[in-house]
Amino acid sequence: MSETRLRPALHGKELVLAVIRWILIIFFAVYTLFPLIWLIISSLKTNFEFLAQSPFSLPSKPQWINYKNALTVAGLGRMLLNSVFVGLSATLVNVIIASMSAYCISRFRFKGREKIFTLFTAGILVPLNALMVPYFVIINKLGLYNTYGGMILLYAAIGIPMSTFLIRGLMDSIPMEVEEAAYIDGCGFYGRFFHILLPLSRTGIVTAATFEFLTCWNEFVFANLIVSSEKLRTIQVGIRYFTNQFSTDYVSMYAAIVISIIPSILGYVLFQEQIIAGMTSGAVKG
Amino acid sequence: MKLIRSDRKALYAFMAPALAVMILFFVIPVIYVIVVSFLKWNGISAPALNNLKNYALLMKDKSFSRSVINNIIWALVAGFIQVPLAMVMAIILSRKPKGWKFFRTVYFFPQVISGIALATLWRAIYNAEHGMLNGLLRAIGAGAAAKDWLGTIQTAFPAVLIYWVFYVGYYMVIMMADITTIDTSYYEAATIDGATDFQQAIYITIPLIKKTSLLTCVTLASVMGLRQFEQVYMLTNGQPANTTSTIVLYMYKKMQNANYGIASASAVILIIVGVVFIVCIRKLFEGRGDKPVVAKNVRRAVK
Amino acid sequence: MKKLFALILAVTMCLSLAAIAVPASADEIVINFPSIWVGTDSKAPYMAEMIEAFNAENAGSIKVVVEEQTDYQAYRDKIRTTITTGNAPDLCILDTTFDIKAFAESGKFMDLTPYLEDGWGENFTDGAFDAWSVDGKVSILPFEAAVFTPIYNTEILKAAGWDHFPATYDEFFKMAEDVKAAGYNVMGQMAGDNAWSSMLWYSLIAEAIGGKDVYEGGLSNPAFVEAAKVLKEMYNYTFDGAVSATASDVNGHFLARDTAIYLNGPWWIANFYKEDNAVDGVLLADVCEVATNPAYEGGKGDNGLVTTVQGFLAAAKQSDPAKEEAVVKFLKYISEPERVAQWALSSGAMFFVKYTPSPDTTLISQKVTEVSNNASYTILHVNGAFPTAFSTEFPAALSALILGEVDEQGFVDQLQLAIDMA
Repeated sequence: MSETRLRPALHGKELVLAVIRWILIIFFAVYTLFPLIWLIISSLKTNFEFLAQSPFSLPSKPQWINYKNALTVAGLGRMLLNSVFVGLSATLVNVIIASMSAYCISRFRFKGREKIFTLFTAGILVPLNALMVPYFVIINKLGLYNTYGGMILLYAAIGIPMSTFLIRGLMDSIPMEVEEAAYIDGCGFYGRFFHILLPLSRTGIVTAATFEFLTCWNEFVFANLIVSSEKLRTIQVGIRYFTNQFSTDYVSMYAAIVISIIPSILGYVLFQEQIIAGMTSGAVKG
Repeated sequence: MKLIRSDRKALYAFMAPALAVMILFFVIPVIYVIVVSFLKWNGISAPALNNLKNYALLMKDKSFSRSVINNIIWALVAGFIQVPLAMVMAIILSRKPKGWKFFRTVYFFPQVISGIALATLWRAIYNAEHGMLNGLLRAIGAGAAAKDWLGTIQTAFPAVLIYWVFYVGYYMVIMMADITTIDTSYYEAATIDGATDFQQAIYITIPLIKKTSLLTCVTLASVMGLRQFEQVYMLTNGQPANTTSTIVLYMYKKMQNANYGIASASAVILIIVGVVFIVCIRKLFEGRGDKPVVAKNVRRAVK
Repeated sequence: MKKLFALILAVTMCLSLAAIAVPASADEIVINFPSIWVGTDSKAPYMAEMIEAFNAENAGSIKVVVEEQTDYQAYRDKIRTTITTGNAPDLCILDTTFDIKAFAESGKFMDLTPYLEDGWGENFTDGAFDAWSVDGKVSILPFEAAVFTPIYNTEILKAAGWDHFPATYDEFFKMAEDVKAAGYNVMGQMAGDNAWSSMLWYSLIAEAIGGKDVYEGGLSNPAFVEAAKVLKEMYNYTFDGAVSATASDVNGHFLARDTAIYLNGPWWIANFYKEDNAVDGVLLADVCEVATNPAYEGGKGDNGLVTTVQGFLAAAKQSDPAKEEAVVKFLKYISEPERVAQWALSSGAMFFVKYTPSPDTTLISQKVTEVSNNASYTILHVNGAFPTAFSTEFPAALSALILGEVDEQGFVDQLQLAIDMA
């Protein structure tokens, strides 16, 4: 192993581990990049090429018209903005409410606490498809049918059990001692929440927020159910513009999907540092 | 923590929004679902009391029990194969190999790609005629093994399950964030003692994330497994012969049939199965007297 | 950060409040109409034209507001939910996956009988309402029709040595052997997704065997077991992987011109004429011919036709008579024979309205109409004739049959069980 002489030489087991490590890294990279590349290539085909030829061949001539279709015919721009707005608002409302309740459940022993936590846990498991009828009634009765408010409220609400669960999990791992010291120093209920628990549980909050935002972004059933106006439609509704009762214009749909994931990937790449910083700036383990 | 009187009011104020939401969006709707589960109702004519008949029918229906089993397998695979895989990748990437930031981003991509696109891609990969998997098998001279992967009883469910197991990005990011909070002096000390990366992972990293991000991810992944619907619906619609069905897909089909009674009964069973499952996971992680690990590794929190 | 949060919250609240207050002029009647005849649907352009014209004609008094719905399954979910909760839209489109009879009986929909008897009914084809009226009253209006008849690629049949389409199923399988030997698929079958193509074939075979009374006595008619045998046999002549195939596989194969026979509703006809689908400049329509359902040796079928109601129009019961009038006015407007004729021509769709078809008899749609006019009777496809539970279970039962998990009797039993459960 002469070529590695300058560094501590890898030998035996370590070499094997290094090889395995890189095989895994490359495997996962190919595995996760492939769908995106395939999607982009498919979005440049004609429907004939997509349906009647191998799905893994290249387009004979890139069909940029699919993108034009997606942008002009389906009106994706407005839908993207709606999705971003609804997603961010719902996420914000959601994590605020969830971190407050997580704080109570995690830090205090009060009557009914266990029951409440069981309730939240069961809430995670409720198959939301079963709740179409009650949700439709509730949103209607609140006068929120076909409003941003209705979507934001519903999205924030359906994510509460999951977010509370995630944030509480993190708060539970913060030792009581930290808080007790502050308590002795005269730090009250709110002070401890804002100055100690909230900053320390950032990891959990960011995890919950990411999860909640992705849920909002990918949600379709309720977006279609509680909204009727085109002005309020979100991106998942837009993606389905190219399907109809009998067939799907796959290539235009794929163009729409590519357009719809660009903001999320861009957002993720841009905010990744902040997200990760948020996740890691809490406590240090050890 | 003890509650002093002034705290009590604050506590109620803090719990109130979440509780209000829970009552409005979960308790009341779920009570509705439970009530409907005892009815015979098509959503338009007058409902009739059906007692436990819906549940009895479910117990007898083979495709429902198959759905329950599939969901349990799914939850187990998610919790105990997918998440460990994510953990391995999290450990590897948190040692910051070349290009780790790039990989961390790339692994996350499938989370933002619409499920419709993923489903059509994987249908194409598993396709019998021009599928990529069969192409690969033929290329390595194993053409005899080529088949209609989603149209064969033995392979359909594994095929649906496996492709998705390797999309680990989300769990990986959660665990990576947790790993970076581990005090680096642990690793430094271990390196001086001559511990390999592998040993460090086993003896330092895993015990320290076990109760936090690992438990979170296992629970999260299992819940996702139990609630699985969209991927199956778009990939196989539960076929062939209902062998890839899941509880939510089963329920959804009963709703299409306007059989709200049975649909609701299957939702109730899913909640029950799920709660039992989550309790078991918590027991598994809390059970084995390794609490001292956490107590010992008290975090050095705020300065 | 805090400021940003506060800002987002404030904007959210303003927008939600703004969205609640929908201004509407007092005299204008707004008809809300969640519609699937939008987007890429072939009926969409003319529909939009009609609505625009209608709104312009009635400016200030009536306005039809369309809620675009493109994903049919999601549309069904929404319609079912709104109707269940008593919020049925003013006007909507239903198909046979809904329990039309139960809807008609529910009293939640407008009774259109008086209007139909007042002359409007003359516009519709004879007997269009028979199967769907309850106690002689029509509230759910059959509107879009579909007929299912095989269309075949003449070049492939020629390559296999056949200059005509088989007249019986015995002959059909002889042709199938020849087509297969020539290296082509005979037809596209699919047991994946909703098993649509196979379900249509099953309907055709059942019609050939059981004749016009095939649905009497439900699934216990032995024709259904017999038809299952024939359908299973057909799986020997389709492409690889048909068990997991979906409609896009079936369509793709026919477009690729490696498959001889295609079976679908008239809405697909537009694809025969698309430049995109031409191969070496030859349109698909130029090599295709319309056939009739073959007869079955010893079967009761006699030149029957499999059809369905592809779309019903249903209007919610209105308490305000002026609104009821408005809705009916709109319904009359879109079922005006001249408009329907144009609509049919531009989309390929068929309607339960009497209209003068285009004189060009070389058009595939014309040939389909001819087959349909020559039929001695019509029956529904199985999807429409049986409860929805039949259709949702069909893919499962069919894949079990093809993979040998159940026999033909077991296949029918499984479907019966699903119906009984619902």
